[in-house]
Amino acid sequence: MATTTAAVTLTSDLLSGSLSVTGTSTLMKAGTTADGLDQMRMGINEVPTGTSFDLLDATRAGIDKANKVYIANLSTDTSYYVIIIIDDKTVGRLYGGDWMFIPWNMDDATHDLEVTSYVGTNKIQWVKFHEGETLGTSAD
Amino acid sequence: MATTATISIASDIMAGFSGISNSMTLTEAGGTTDLQETTGYSRKKLSSASKVDLFVMANTSVASVDTETGAKVFIKNISDSKDKGVKVFINAVEIGLLYGNDWMLVPVSTVNAEDIEVQPETDDATVLEYVMFYQ
Repeated sequence: MATTTAAVTLTSDLLSGSLSVTGTSTLMKAGTTADGLDQMRMGINEVPTGTSFDLLDATRAGIDKANKVYIANLSTDTSYYVIIIIDDKTVGRLYGGDWMFIPWNMDDATHDLEVTSYVGTNKIQWVKFHEGETLGTSAD
Repeated sequence: MATTATISIASDIMAGFSGISNSMTLTEAGGTTDLQETTGYSRKKLSSASKVDLFVMANTSVASVDTETGAKVFIKNISDSKDKGVKVFINAVEIGLLYGNDWMLVPVSTVNAEDIEVQPETDDATVLEYVMFYQ
């Protein structure tokens, strides 16, 4: 079985006592304890301002699956940001230097993961761990 | 007072993939000032397949749609079960499913009514831990 792990360490001294949380997830296919996610795609894109772009297209094969997505904004200027959108819903703003890691249930074929760039051209790194996708038939 | 998050991803799906390692300091929008507000770290046991609010943005420093905010939400499903998940929503739009030991860290808008909601797939007991840092 393919094995993918995602570990996080979150620390904060905002509270009077220090907070330190760790987590490690082994990325499994939906509803199984024995079969790990076995497909992945990754890339780096430069995203110009002015238009909302599909970073990842939803497909029906991804409905109710255990897909996971990592996105990092590689922009070095912390005033640069992209707005992350899923199916027309604004998730949040990912500023230069920020990263995010989420489960992504494509839910339906319109559940695309979109980005809109602000301030300037943002460079985005992304990795999608998934299952069950097949190549589309060529139209020509 | 700083809050930091570090991620490390390893995978043998693709030959030659050297993994991901990245750290960030959680800062206010567009700058280097550390986030100063938090909901505190919380724990909730869910025992039905009903949708419930995890974060109600009206209880935080609500932002307008055009306000820049650097808020981040961390949620971890501490149940061991990998065969039952908890759906995570932002104001009724599903983001994804968190199975046992899965976690997520995501920027959020804190716009009023854009609440973070969760809904287990079954009535089986599931425990979530969660925290939001905001400005």
